[in-house]
Amino acid sequence: MKEVKISSLQLSMMMYPTILATAILTVPSVTAKFAAHDLWMSPILASFMGGVAVFIAVQLHKLYPEQTIIEYSENIIGRIPGKIIGFFVLIFYLEMTGEIARSYSEFIVSSFLFKTPIMVIIALMLLVCAFAVYGGLETMARAAQLFFPAFFVPLIILIILLSPDFKFENVFPVLEEGIVPPAKGAVVLSGWFAEFFLIAFFLPFLSDRKKAMKQGIINVVAVMITLTLVNLTVLFVLGVSTASKTYPLMNAGRYISWANFFENLDAVIMAVWILGAFVKLTVFYFAVVLGTAQWLNLSDYRPIVWPVGILIAEFSFWGIPNMMVFARDEDQSFPFYSILIQVLFPLLLLMIAMIRRRKGENRAVNE
Amino acid sequence: MLVEKKRNSFIKCALLFLSFSGSLFLLSGCWDRVEINDLAIITAAAIDKKDVNQVELSLQIFIPKAMGGGQGGEGGSGGENVTFVISQAGVNIADALSKLQADFPRKIFWGQCKVFLFGEELAREGVYESLDFLLRHPEPRERGYVFVSKGKAKNILAMKTNLEPYSGEAVREIATLGSGLAVTLQDFDELLTGASQGAALPYMKVASKKGDKESSYDYTSFIGAAVFKKDRMVGDLSRKETRGLLWLKNEVKEYTVTVRPPGEKGELSFTLGTVQVKVDPQIKNKEWKMKLDVKVTGMVIQNGTNLDVNDPNSLKIVQQAFQKSVKQRIEGVIGTAQHKLKADIADFAEEFHRKYPKQWKRVEKRWEEVFPNVKVQVQVNAEVRRQGYINQPEKAREGVDNE
Repeated sequence: MKEVKISSLQLSMMMYPTILATAILTVPSVTAKFAAHDLWMSPILASFMGGVAVFIAVQLHKLYPEQTIIEYSENIIGRIPGKIIGFFVLIFYLEMTGEIARSYSEFIVSSFLFKTPIMVIIALMLLVCAFAVYGGLETMARAAQLFFPAFFVPLIILIILLSPDFKFENVFPVLEEGIVPPAKGAVVLSGWFAEFFLIAFFLPFLSDRKKAMKQGIINVVAVMITLTLVNLTVLFVLGVSTASKTYPLMNAGRYISWANFFENLDAVIMAVWILGAFVKLTVFYFAVVLGTAQWLNLSDYRPIVWPVGILIAEFSFWGIPNMMVFARDEDQSFPFYSILIQVLFPLLLLMIAMIRRRKGENRAVNE
Repeated sequence: MLVEKKRNSFIKCALLFLSFSGSLFLLSGCWDRVEINDLAIITAAAIDKKDVNQVELSLQIFIPKAMGGGQGGEGGSGGENVTFVISQAGVNIADALSKLQADFPRKIFWGQCKVFLFGEELAREGVYESLDFLLRHPEPRERGYVFVSKGKAKNILAMKTNLEPYSGEAVREIATLGSGLAVTLQDFDELLTGASQGAALPYMKVASKKGDKESSYDYTSFIGAAVFKKDRMVGDLSRKETRGLLWLKNEVKEYTVTVRPPGEKGELSFTLGTVQVKVDPQIKNKEWKMKLDVKVTGMVIQNGTNLDVNDPNSLKIVQQAFQKSVKQRIEGVIGTAQHKLKADIADFAEEFHRKYPKQWKRVEKRWEEVFPNVKVQVQVNAEVRRQGYINQPEKAREGVDNE
């Protein structure tokens, strides 16, 4: 299983859409609710959390180069507590994967396929993702590599096409209420940036492990710049009404009118979103499946790909009665949940591991 | 053994084939399949008030057959109709729409609707409710233009047009050509949620040209702007004032200024080249002041005076007259907005908000009282840059003014 290798660049190309896919659609609205016209600062502040998550993942990786969090948590704090931590982490990722599948299909159902049962959309997407995960990490990485330009280029084109409608004066006054509102927006956004900790599941497979830290930071910066650009674009086009929209980038994309005939580009945004959601889902799906296999001490993760897929489909409905609850959850509990599992837990593990290592070294010196 | 292997692979192939062809049924996405000939495409929508607590929704529906069948070179009022209008009353738009749909053979489709008209009566009562539907429903586009019609909006939809295929298109062209105001649904939403809480929408009506039976016809006429405070229409601006408003918003495009220089008998007309408007809010000693700096260049297109623009002295007179005329137009609309309507249609609120966020916080709640007292100083710098294909007025060449 571990002879599969991917490069750190491939990992970046997987992580970039993984963070952005859900972020570009809902983040402008969520941050605008807190920060109004200072929403573009939130990604810059929040990217700090991404840096922290990458740092912790890489440091832990340096201590236990061949293991993922599920395995080394047992090594660090003992078998039973380790299993408990692992359980929480797995449940978190399982729940997140379900939520991503749900929010992806809610978007499709509410904007394009009004009559199609939502279960069909979730099931079809998970089926495709399951194929990719079953195919292995290399398949996923190559797919992500292939889709990366198709995700990135339309986003840039979108911004360029919208430029005639930009009202740059919308950014003023800068910091009207001080730094607090953008910081509040940043707290919410940190939940997304914390997802960078997912690289902990992929680092053991890297062929160029030394570049991991550098690539990770470049990746965080790239995501930050993209999110800032997206937030600014939305602000320039929609102004103060951003906060009242469910999917502001969608509204902005629909607003494109180039020479009176190049219009109605909703489909482009949908395409970007589907590609992004696919990559995001495979990455989360893989983390869940690999983690579960390691938690259960299985030799291969492949046999549980299909059962976990069904569980993910179930999780996309459990606990989410409707989109209003989901939206509230997204800005009130998700950030803290996400940071707790993906930053605080690992940080704790890292600290214990460091102390133990030092003690071990001391003992070695003393003996 | 070989035979068995062959049979095995045959069964494998057959199974694969079956499972693939089986999945075809799933992949077609039958639930949302919509054929274009099952759609009724709305080209324009009108919302009017009807009775108490009732709205009337009128939709201009496109008839594909008429367009495809070739309208013929004749066109004109005798041509075949490309659209027809359906309308229905209901407690709100959604209700009226569902009633309409019940009696309609095709699925009503909003995606191509580019014109939204509000009847004046509804506009005066408030449009939030209707706006909510248009912004919430995923089909109507935020790029559609919003208008207010004098009288019933339905009449504009039902009107026959001469040049454009249908009246919705005619109305839209009038807005986008640049001579009038163009406000999209998105702009309108932004203006109403923004600091100023005021907006001006283009105000249209059906006018008719009287003549004998053959030559009389109806047309949509742009009669100015409907002024909104919050979501309610509170008054209107004349055509001239609307032009002034366009100056303020820096949206002047196609425009002709005609002036009569002092002491002259004829008129001089300019078309505009570049227009630059700089807005500079100032607060000094608690006095709120708005400085407007307008820079405009013009080209002479008709000169009925005796002034030869080649002469520096005459040019000075002409430019001053040009300057004064522009200034009067701008001051005219500001006066109406500040004192008659008390509605901040030029979005001064946002300008102050941007430059003086702290002071703004204090007046935010009572902007309505502050706005009429904002001092406005208009400074116009008008230049004549070109004079067209002839360099002296026809009169001057005859030598009349040489005595």
